[in-house]
Amino acid sequence: MPSVVLLALTISVLSGLAAILLGRNLTRSIAAVGVSIVGLAVAMLAAGAGFLALMVTTVAALVLISIQLFGWMLVDVDRDHLPSTDRMTWLARCLAFLLLGAGLLFLGWGAETQGILRSPVKLVPFATPAIMGEAFFGPWKDLAALAGLVLSGGLLATLMLLRDDGENR
Amino acid sequence: MTEVTSNSAGLLVLGGLALFWVGMLGLLWRRSLVGMVVGLLFGWLSVALAGIGFSGLRTTALEATNGAMFVLCVVLVCAIQIVLGLSIVVARISRNGTLDAQDAELLEG
Repeated sequence: MPSVVLLALTISVLSGLAAILLGRNLTRSIAAVGVSIVGLAVAMLAAGAGFLALMVTTVAALVLISIQLFGWMLVDVDRDHLPSTDRMTWLARCLAFLLLGAGLLFLGWGAETQGILRSPVKLVPFATPAIMGEAFFGPWKDLAALAGLVLSGGLLATLMLLRDDGENR
Repeated sequence: MTEVTSNSAGLLVLGGLALFWVGMLGLLWRRSLVGMVVGLLFGWLSVALAGIGFSGLRTTALEATNGAMFVLCVVLVCAIQIVLGLSIVVARISRNGTLDAQDAELLEG
């Protein structure tokens, strides 16, 4: 479904652009980032990325929630109260951004014309969790969940032990 | 699992390029440290998206699996990096009371 992928990617990129340009208001910026992540999720799922799409979306949503939580606790969400950038710095940043955009456009155009983004033969589906578990852990793949639980338990215990450590110095 | 088409995978790669541009805009344009972390999030998402796209363009199951494993590692490492950066930002804001990147040229410790 290339048209669905294209539409979702367009929405995602435009929302991302809005998130940066509306960045002086944190609430609007975070809402736009949320829309962008949803667009990305739809694009990846429509392209057949399967569990990779779910994993990327879940981690991105968790990171966004962290930014939102700490942002709302620490800063004024309506305005960032920062002085405006001086004119020469602003122009230099504009130039750097335009140069980067031109470079990326050239890269995308080159990849498209060289046929890198097309495959002449029938493609295989994306890897499944079972195949990846086999590749990562081999015959121990059934113990992978247990190893994950032990690791997360160890990390949590470390965090609990380090709690209030800074106040006791 | 649905079959991936080369058109869709190529679009994901191009979308990754566009999102990288947006992420760099966040890093170049915003003076707010929180805004820069948002830009970093877009940069990371663009790498993951390009990885998924290139993984979808592989023609054997082993290559597709290698691509998926690369994306998995990128996602975990970048999520840890962003959370670490956010913790530094939070510490700076609570200590200095400002989120201006101009005042964060040095990490004073």
